[in-house]
Amino acid sequence: MKIHIPAMLRHESSGASDLSVSATTIRGALEQLESSHPSLYRSVCNETGAVRRHMHLFINSDLVMDDGLDTKLRPNDELFIMPAVSGG
Amino acid sequence: MAERVVLCIGTKKGLFVAEAAKSRRRFELRGPFGPGVAVYSSLIDTRGTPRIFASSCHTFFGMKIMVSTDLGKKFKETKSAPAFPKADGRAVENIWSIEPGKNKRELLCGVEPASLFRSGDGGNSWELVPGISNHEHSKHWQPGNGGLCMHTIVRDGNRVHLGISTGGHYLSEDGGETFNASNNGVGAGFFPDPNPEFGQCVHKIASHPDVPGRLYMQNHGGWPDHPGIGVLRSDDHGHTWHSIADGLPSDFGFPIVVHPHDPDTIYVVPLDPSTRTCPDSKPAVWRSQNGGGKWKRLAKGFPKKDSYFTVLRDAMTIDPLKSPSLYFGTTTGRLWIGRDGGEEWTCLFDSLPPINCVKVAVV
Repeated sequence: MKIHIPAMLRHESSGASDLSVSATTIRGALEQLESSHPSLYRSVCNETGAVRRHMHLFINSDLVMDDGLDTKLRPNDELFIMPAVSGG
Repeated sequence: MAERVVLCIGTKKGLFVAEAAKSRRRFELRGPFGPGVAVYSSLIDTRGTPRIFASSCHTFFGMKIMVSTDLGKKFKETKSAPAFPKADGRAVENIWSIEPGKNKRELLCGVEPASLFRSGDGGNSWELVPGISNHEHSKHWQPGNGGLCMHTIVRDGNRVHLGISTGGHYLSEDGGETFNASNNGVGAGFFPDPNPEFGQCVHKIASHPDVPGRLYMQNHGGWPDHPGIGVLRSDDHGHTWHSIADGLPSDFGFPIVVHPHDPDTIYVVPLDPSTRTCPDSKPAVWRSQNGGGKWKRLAKGFPKKDSYFTVLRDAMTIDPLKSPSLYFGTTTGRLWIGRDGGEEWTCLFDSLPPINCVKVAVV
């Protein structure tokens, strides 16, 4: 599956806009990210493994809720990492 | 190379560095470093080759420590930032203090939720200091308005003093292995018992190396029922504390600073406790030259009215030169210099982002 990296985090992925991983759940995809790109992972999840409060994950166009990390993925699903919108 | 005065200014939108000759007539500003990301703490480490450390506390992407080895011309991230072990269940929400440890490579770092980390390799790796971070009191500490933060680390040989808001003052006398609450005389106007063992909202603690047993504290004051608990002094290494607030217009404030050459001379910025801005909208720094016995208002150069800023706990400092200058930054983005020990004030920069912390060194 493909993980899309937002522009402001691509310095953590050597400039890559997407990464390919083999995983059957979102949690599994994040675990692979932790192994392959620990600094990028740390920008998405804190040290407890929780997705950071202002980060959103989407599978295709569906927002993943906090309890959705074990959702089964289909082969062509794409995971989007998106910072939440903010001002100030 | 001639010595330079270097200021680190941590703001809501990144770190700025200002540099001047020892005359301090004109400061050149550069930055922001870590643009757009709040900086709550910095350290100009003059042990050996000078290094500047600064926390970069990103609301979205988490905590970083930035380091510069060229006096703040460029910064890079250290290899890691303080983080709890995964099994701990806590996550670092902010970095509130970075201080030198006992040797050149050691750093200490206070974070939110209130915990202490130690690095033995200049900030590239960090370990939790369990004696305070897992203290039996820690589950009872509560966040203040700024969060549950460990904001002050004062080292004195084998003694380590910590300031926690709201946790109070904790003292280690075995080099940081174990800590005890040490709040005898430190009041808390927000508890039914105003003299609890711990849980006080300490704002800042300061000391002077020539008189290590003496400490000064800006505590959370401004309580009509408990006057004077906001500005305190200890003469026994922080075991007991007594008020030195008499003569101040308010005992509420955040920073407290000691003169580099005179441990009897201290500075505070009293604030109105309800607005947490300048009393009667007239800014002033107050100085005592006898350890808190008498206070004098220093306001030459400040606006005479209509000023409503706050000076946060780490946003005032003093340089070590023969005739030292004070510096403070405001939540309205102004950076002031108080020449000749605060006798006359000038605004160095008037349009910075809100200022969280200011540090100075001569290198």
